[in-house]
Amino acid sequence: MAINDVLSPFRGWKHLFNDPVSIKDPINREAADRYRGFHQNEIQDCIGCGTCEDICQNGAIDMLPVEGVETVEGDSGLRPRIDYGRCCWCALCVDVCTTGSLTMSNLYKWADSDGDAFLFTPGVDAKEWDGEVRGYRRPEGYSLTPHERVEMREVEPEVRIENFEEIAAGYSIEEAIIEADRCVECGLCVATCPTHMAVPDYIAAIRDGDYDEGLRILYDTNPFSQVCGRVCTHKCEDVCATGHTGDPIAIRWLKRHITDQVPNERYAEIVGKPGPATGKSVAIIGAGPAGLTAAFDLAKAGHKVVVFESRKHPGGMLRYGIPEYRLPYDVLDHEIGVIAGLGVDIRCDTRIGTDISMDDLKADYDAVLLTIGLHLGRSTRIPGTEAKGVFKAVDLLREITNGDPVRVPKQAVVIGGGNVAMDIARSLARLQKQKYGKVDMTVTALETLDHFLADADEIRECGEEGINILDARGPQEVMVSRGRVTGLRTWAVTSIFDDIGRFAPHYNEDDECVHPADMVIEAIGQMADVSLLGEDLTEELEWNRGRMLIDKAGRTSLPWLWAGGDAVAGPDVVHAVADGHRMAESITEAFATVEGE
Amino acid sequence: MALFEPDRSQYPDKNPDGTCDIDLTSGKYLKVWQGPNHPGITGNMSVELTVCGDEVVEGITHVGYLHRGFEKLMERRSFIQCFPIVCRICVPEPDFNEYLYAATVEELAGIKVPERAEWIRTLILEMGRINSYLMYLGGQAGAFGLGIVGQWTTYVRDLMLDRFEELTGARIYHMFILPGGVRDGLPEGFKERLEETLQEVERTLKDVHEVMFQNAVFKKRTIGVGYIDPALFEPFGVTGPNARAGGVAKDVRKDQPYLVYDQLEFEPVTDTASDMFARSDVRRRDLLLSVDLVRQILRKMPDEGPIMTKLPNVLHWKIPRGETYLRGECSRGEYGYYLVTDGSGKPRRVNVRGPSYTHAMALLERLIVNVNISDVAGLMVSLHTYPPEIER
Amino acid sequence: MPHRPDGYHQMKDLTSLREVLELATKFEITARDFYTDLATKVSKNMRYLVEELATEEQEHVELFSAMLRRKDLAGTLDIKVERPASDRKFSDCVHAPDLGENPDDQTVLQYALKREQIAMEQYRTLAEETEPGPLHDLFQFLANEEAEHKNELEVLYYEIVHSGGV
Repeated sequence: MAINDVLSPFRGWKHLFNDPVSIKDPINREAADRYRGFHQNEIQDCIGCGTCEDICQNGAIDMLPVEGVETVEGDSGLRPRIDYGRCCWCALCVDVCTTGSLTMSNLYKWADSDGDAFLFTPGVDAKEWDGEVRGYRRPEGYSLTPHERVEMREVEPEVRIENFEEIAAGYSIEEAIIEADRCVECGLCVATCPTHMAVPDYIAAIRDGDYDEGLRILYDTNPFSQVCGRVCTHKCEDVCATGHTGDPIAIRWLKRHITDQVPNERYAEIVGKPGPATGKSVAIIGAGPAGLTAAFDLAKAGHKVVVFESRKHPGGMLRYGIPEYRLPYDVLDHEIGVIAGLGVDIRCDTRIGTDISMDDLKADYDAVLLTIGLHLGRSTRIPGTEAKGVFKAVDLLREITNGDPVRVPKQAVVIGGGNVAMDIARSLARLQKQKYGKVDMTVTALETLDHFLADADEIRECGEEGINILDARGPQEVMVSRGRVTGLRTWAVTSIFDDIGRFAPHYNEDDECVHPADMVIEAIGQMADVSLLGEDLTEELEWNRGRMLIDKAGRTSLPWLWAGGDAVAGPDVVHAVADGHRMAESITEAFATVEGE
Repeated sequence: MALFEPDRSQYPDKNPDGTCDIDLTSGKYLKVWQGPNHPGITGNMSVELTVCGDEVVEGITHVGYLHRGFEKLMERRSFIQCFPIVCRICVPEPDFNEYLYAATVEELAGIKVPERAEWIRTLILEMGRINSYLMYLGGQAGAFGLGIVGQWTTYVRDLMLDRFEELTGARIYHMFILPGGVRDGLPEGFKERLEETLQEVERTLKDVHEVMFQNAVFKKRTIGVGYIDPALFEPFGVTGPNARAGGVAKDVRKDQPYLVYDQLEFEPVTDTASDMFARSDVRRRDLLLSVDLVRQILRKMPDEGPIMTKLPNVLHWKIPRGETYLRGECSRGEYGYYLVTDGSGKPRRVNVRGPSYTHAMALLERLIVNVNISDVAGLMVSLHTYPPEIER
Repeated sequence: MPHRPDGYHQMKDLTSLREVLELATKFEITARDFYTDLATKVSKNMRYLVEELATEEQEHVELFSAMLRRKDLAGTLDIKVERPASDRKFSDCVHAPDLGENPDDQTVLQYALKREQIAMEQYRTLAEETEPGPLHDLFQFLANEEAEHKNELEVLYYEIVHSGGV
């Protein structure tokens, strides 16, 4: 033991007169910038998706309704309430928040004599840290859920303009699993879908590789899943939670993927058989999605269903309006075949009003369903539209579908900015390419490009195929010379909405343009052909601003007549399917009530 | 060195399994419970001592006071949900749990972590090691009544915790290393502030060296005391400074380099005496080595690059069937995680092997025989055991 | 279908506010009766449109009649105003479309729009040809009424006809 070992410890005395190192005020010490402190929630941005509740490892978060927050499309109306007795401040809830509304401040002191106060709803229960900007936010480049959508492979424009083959390739199994993985299962899509398809469930079925189960889930709410998987207006994707900070899930393509994976022969087995016969019969006028969905439900309920279709083939606008490159005919045939396989009798080439009257149907059937769609095209009726060479888009589309000889214009102009305008423009462009070797097609619409009613993908694909899109132009006159159409004269549109947002275009007469063309096609709007009702029935019915008056279930003012689909609600496939379900349920209920009396 | 030699002929014989048949009614023996609440215990663990005179003839350890059921909890949580709770398995040095859990999940899921994340992980582990050794020094000196060391080291540990706070967002349970990478990069000015803190650590270590390691009382109490025969290292699974103080240069960082240890220059710190003083000194020098490693990391680490790899959706992340065991060198020895997955979204089995599992129970019971009761606390602390990791 | 009398020519020689308002009211009554009669002829699904048009015209009838009865205008209504004779002709070359046997909703609306357009232009021209004063103001007021009505009809027209965008 050296002397150093005895003396050395005394060197510690050099600290004898140091200042103490303890902090004078530990209570009010400010935490670091990143400190994970108490929660904040931007209530306006929060959509109540509940992903924070799902990931919390200790069940500290409960999604609860909040006074003053309404449930609307895309917002469940619920907000997270956090139990600070369970929270471990790991901030996984902040990491997965789909809108980025949930964050943490860096405050960490909260004393309260009431233990229940620590069950609080951030953003609703006002706290001193609500405005604090320092704290934990999801860092750059850090993400626990994939944000990018898997691209849908499409045939290249130069190849697809030559034919009417389907453009979208459909997801492969690997692609579908990657896309299906992105879903956070919040369910906002279910509420938004008009027919409330169980979207998170069938997306989970894709992850599990159980396509039979997936198809069963699809057919639970939508017997037109192959169709909707290709052409639905996908309101679900518009409200998808992941769409707030990334790309929305490709719900439509995933639906199609399931239908692609199940072999056609297996559908009947999965869909099931019709129920035992009830002895009731229903006549349905119009073999479109609304009518055939109702037929599907009614056949499964055991009623006898006869569908009257005036055209040569069933399908309605699905066949005669949507071109083949978006929805192939054999896919539609298969889908309708499944419904027919339940014993539904579809009689084509039978026009109600001429071949059979409404009175006959009223007498022969226990209920009649009117789902006649919107098959008459509207016209602007500007000067010159009476000339030969001016067509309505729906008429031309029908002829192309039928395979009738169609006059292929060398140069053409389409009036309209919706999906029908895109459909006719792209169909005629293909015919132009086949006949003349080049495309010369112009689309003009009143709206500006960002207000076009057509799908953004449609507009993009249209442009890729060499079609010229001119927005904000109002048609004034079809130029006719010696009985032939020579062009369309348009004025620029200076504003399209009035001061309260209604559609009321204003023109600038000085900005005038003539678009040369030998054909003008109008795709501005559609109406229903209600002439089949006859004068007496038209008088007897109640009307609502030009459409048949119906209650919530689709029943008209006459107890034996139901109406639904495009003719009553406006054009949209999935709404038509939802209408079909409602009407079928209403009819079945009406039958049961009569029985009970 | 005991002050006087006891009469060991009175002691009971040892059975082959190491226990003794002690006749408590004879009046020769006294049962003393050390713990679970006792200043000499590092965490909630108790040792049931049977003392003859003032020498221990038998010690039986009792653990379980800190059993929180982590391994079972993890079987009921998805992989991402397990990440916030693993750090709580070892309270004073939590980062190792986060790292090993993340590494085992990454191996079974087939994920590769970006380079910058590996450097940040190493930085955190070394900072954690410094903190752990600082706490040890305080405890070791305190076991002999040298309280000032604990005051100093706790203070400078608090400064390190400040650095952790600004890097990870929390002081003790960082929840920063997760499967896929780390949560964020270094904040502005972090390297400078960390360097300042490291200098403070070195200043404090110098004082500690003067006051504790060049201290006659400390030397008398620890040199030659608590000797571990190197022949016991293998059968008892002794690792870390406990083994290195006996001349066995075992260091997982050198033997099976993980993270970026193969890019850092260092040699394992060893000693030969294998007594309490040697173990303390090895840890002190290892602490200084860690300071040097942190400086190397700050110098060599890339300043840019991703910190997180692209994960599948963690809400329904399924990992294919597999099992793996990964180990790392923590401040106390070899730390291991055993993970079994079964293709579902939750771990099938997680087993956490902390070094204290062997040091604090089997080894302690072996060493405690014939130790003076006043040395028991110092012996326990010199093994540097953390009870939370024994029973999870 | 009776050809509508040329309002401009009937009105331009009038020199008192009362006479102008009385004639304007007569025009509105004629229109209202026309629409009311038309409503019985069209099929029920578009009857609502014609009935709404009749109601709009009736509102104008009531508005102008109320103005005629107002005590505070009583004095001013009979003021004779000196107006120079003007021989500028207003060429009424814009035709309202012939409604035909079975007009559909688009035809009826186009007819109604044109009628409002003509009325508005005629009142506007009369206002331009009148010296600033109560008569000028009355013509302006009548022109604005027709213009507002026209704007409402335009919105309705686009709503019904341009229902496309499928």
